[in-house]
Amino acid sequence: MANRKDKYIVLTGATGFLGAFLLAGLLDRGYQVIALGRSSTMKLAERLSNLVTWLNIGPRQRLLPIEVDFTKKHFGLDDKAYSQLCANTGKIIHCASDTRFAERNRKQVMESNISNLASILEFAEDSQAEHFYYISTAYAVGVCEGICLETPVSLENNKFTNVYEESKAQAEDIITKGCNKIAMPLSILRPSIVYGHSKTGRALKFNALYYGVKSLSYIKDIFVKDIVEHGGTKSIKWGFNINNDGTLYLPLTVYLPENGAVNLISVDYFVEATIRIMEQGDAGIYNITCDNPPNILTISDYIEKFLGIRGIKTICKPFDNPPNPAEELFGRFFEIYRPYLSDKRIFDRSHTKSVVNDLSTPPLTYDIFDRCMSYAVACDWGKIANFPK
Amino acid sequence: MYVTIIDKERENVMKDNETDEIVKIAKNCRHFSMCKIDILGSGICASGLEKHYVSFFPQGRMDLYAALYENKIPVTDRCIEIVDSCNLCGKCDYPCYFTQELRPLKVMKALKEHIKSYLKNGGEIVKTDDDQILIELKKIVGDYWATNDPAIGIAYHHDICPHTTYKMPHYVVMPKTKEEISAIIKLLNQNNITYAVRGNGASSHGLTFTDGVVLDLHRMKTIEFDEKNWLVKVEPGVSSFDMQMEAQKRGFRVHTAEPSSLVCANIMTTGILSTFSTAYGLAGDNYVTAEFIDRDGRYFDLNDINAPNLFAYEYILGEPEPFAICVSLSMKLHAKTDDEDAIIIPFDSLGKAMDFSKECAARRIGLSIAILGQEFFATFMAPTKKLATEAKDLFINKLGMPYLVLLIGDAYDINCVKEMGHSFINNDLFKILCQSLPTLKSAEWLDLLDSLIEDDPYEFLKLEQFKDLAEMALAPSPAHMVEDIDPELQPFFEKLYQKPEMLDLVWLNTSRILSSRYCREKPPVALVCYLPCESSLIEEMQYELKKIADKHGIYGDLGFITPFDFGKRCIWEYDFYFNNLDPDEISRVRQVNDQAFELLEEYCKKTGTIRPVRYLLNHGCCRKENLLYINPK
Repeated sequence: MANRKDKYIVLTGATGFLGAFLLAGLLDRGYQVIALGRSSTMKLAERLSNLVTWLNIGPRQRLLPIEVDFTKKHFGLDDKAYSQLCANTGKIIHCASDTRFAERNRKQVMESNISNLASILEFAEDSQAEHFYYISTAYAVGVCEGICLETPVSLENNKFTNVYEESKAQAEDIITKGCNKIAMPLSILRPSIVYGHSKTGRALKFNALYYGVKSLSYIKDIFVKDIVEHGGTKSIKWGFNINNDGTLYLPLTVYLPENGAVNLISVDYFVEATIRIMEQGDAGIYNITCDNPPNILTISDYIEKFLGIRGIKTICKPFDNPPNPAEELFGRFFEIYRPYLSDKRIFDRSHTKSVVNDLSTPPLTYDIFDRCMSYAVACDWGKIANFPK
Repeated sequence: MYVTIIDKERENVMKDNETDEIVKIAKNCRHFSMCKIDILGSGICASGLEKHYVSFFPQGRMDLYAALYENKIPVTDRCIEIVDSCNLCGKCDYPCYFTQELRPLKVMKALKEHIKSYLKNGGEIVKTDDDQILIELKKIVGDYWATNDPAIGIAYHHDICPHTTYKMPHYVVMPKTKEEISAIIKLLNQNNITYAVRGNGASSHGLTFTDGVVLDLHRMKTIEFDEKNWLVKVEPGVSSFDMQMEAQKRGFRVHTAEPSSLVCANIMTTGILSTFSTAYGLAGDNYVTAEFIDRDGRYFDLNDINAPNLFAYEYILGEPEPFAICVSLSMKLHAKTDDEDAIIIPFDSLGKAMDFSKECAARRIGLSIAILGQEFFATFMAPTKKLATEAKDLFINKLGMPYLVLLIGDAYDINCVKEMGHSFINNDLFKILCQSLPTLKSAEWLDLLDSLIEDDPYEFLKLEQFKDLAEMALAPSPAHMVEDIDPELQPFFEKLYQKPEMLDLVWLNTSRILSSRYCREKPPVALVCYLPCESSLIEEMQYELKKIADKHGIYGDLGFITPFDFGKRCIWEYDFYFNNLDPDEISRVRQVNDQAFELLEEYCKKTGTIRPVRYLLNHGCCRKENLLYINPK
């Protein structure tokens, strides 16, 4: 099933978190990759150049960036360029995605994740690609409980937590129908929540798992500064103080409607699994998820240890008393992630295991957590000057 | 007339003693007359209050110093009097630093030093002779109140408008009564002498210059309240600020313009317009009647059945002289309520901000509504230029608030906005933000707010404890607020910002003491129009104006937009900023302004609904309906 060596793997979303690591993995294994991406204030080639430097990716001569406009026919390329692209295409990995959750971004999310599919599927047909891989999400299955099979999603009567999930479910449906129509082999890969590299700690985006840590880190700084520099009158009124061991007592009760888990996988596992599926797997759906996801208590312990705070607890019913400022702010920050923190879904991985049986995501130990978060802090959560944008 | 022989010695004394910085301060005076009103409660230059001529105020002394430095005028006996009357008390530094970040005291000191050296070196004091006209003028107003001394005239000979042709007045006369004005006009008519009417010496549009006679009405400062009839009668020397403060003492509000501008002059020129126009209207809405001296020197009362119909509107662009001199104005008094408050509603687009503002105006929500771009808002709230730049970046890039609607209203109005579901910055939070500006840009936790994923991007403002959090995180205080201010002035400003009114949005907007900060970085040429409250039209015009500005390397930006007449129309200001000390930039902004006017004319013809304020100059007393809804002949 290996890609014909004279052909390129065409990858969309190479400047995103998953796409960038996937790009690195593919180049490392000797594949030649065409990265399709839109132009922005910085040229695609420049963005990718920064990225490969940052990720210390191998031979760049096997990477060909092509700026395209997914909203246009033939990606806005002239006939010659488009024909050449089609002729060079082996496999297609469609990884580009707008991952925003807020309803106010519905239009852009739908445009990016749904409307753009027309030109991509047309390209798949025109290039007669060997195989189409779509990077979806485990949560495209929508709001449900119990076992989530590696089967097509049902759009009817399905509820979604946010517009992102909804768009990914619709996209799976459209791509499935589109590929069926042209008899193109299709694999849909559904990763759960992805964090950084388990061995190096590297990451490119600091949302999801990182977001809670970052929020709490900033909230901690507010109270520490208030107590240390300004006498902490307000902090003490709310019960915050600095313990004898130097940690901050930060009474933070997090409301979670039920006990569940957080399905997390490392980005290196995602890359390994995806390439393995690409090289050895057949068409179909793959849940790239974690068999034994940690629960929120474990993650709370990690966060407390990492940040030097005490006082996080979870409750299963809404607050009786008014929340303190930290709870109110953190609660608001974390609102969108709440459904993923007490997840009762169990993701079936039979199909995935048939291809990557010897491969599983490393358990999220404190060492890995610390490595990933330390990397994020060292990068100032992506704000340091040379961090790839 | 004022050609003087400058001996080398004098020239050298000047250039040795003065530094570039001091000349720059002197030439940077914006002529906004903020040193002539007590905006900060710190007092006014005593000599100015006594002598009235602009040259006895810090503004005039800045002009005088610059003129002496450039050898434009000789040292005269009035010049000596002006310099001697300054006791270097330093009161001028406070309002000037507050609004423009300038230190005029340095100029006052340099001026004294210069005259001292000049006299020590045997410099001649030039005496100006009285000619027949001056003798006649003095007969009318008294000896002291008419002069042809260039040390007095220099303060009326220019402003910062890039289109201005400077003119040195031959005489300056300061009448005290309408009878004196009448007599002066008759005298000037008999002798075919042109004149310009000035109030406080404030000028920014280059329209009040003459080489004839300047009538400065600054001595006519009577304010008479007729509370039973909700009226206040003012003479033409009364500033907006003074009148507003007097009204507020009695529990009223009046609708006024810039604080140092004169109430009668406003009515006669552009008509009074402000963010309060939402509730109080503009032009003829603001007053009940007025008294005038016409061009023949005859008196008339607008309420006289035979008086000219000044409520009608006639398009008379470019009239060189006023058709009459307003010698008193009876303004409307408005009620104030104890529950007035101000809120700032953020928007990520101009369209959304306009939709909201228009809806409020149509539903009669709010007394004062203003859409402010960040150029205005950040500049107003920040005590220094540096902090204004940081605040602008913070609001646009970190908080995602490129447009802010400032709404003043009573408790019912504020509740309406809440019920409409909008998140807003209330006065308490505004105060916290102001008092922590020096460290606001480095507050990392603000990054989180931008990434809060809510349907309302400003949802965090609804957090009950947000104020507490902001206080803990930012540690606001007057001392913190003034950290970036000139160290010598920090104690004064720390005390100043302890006064509740100095961060009270209602008071600040009523008094308008912050608005002249808009030319602190660079003075602007302002285009002001009345036009339909349509965001697509405004965005299109702004796009075109920006293109013109960009072509010439000039920075242009939205000033403010205020809906009025129940949202049928709005006031829109767009500004082009230029360095008033850079001849090249002045030349470029002139070109921009000319092209912008051409563009506006095209839009006026195309739409039939746009009225640039320049159509109104010299006729701001007309009825707004006549101006806005009847096509001009």
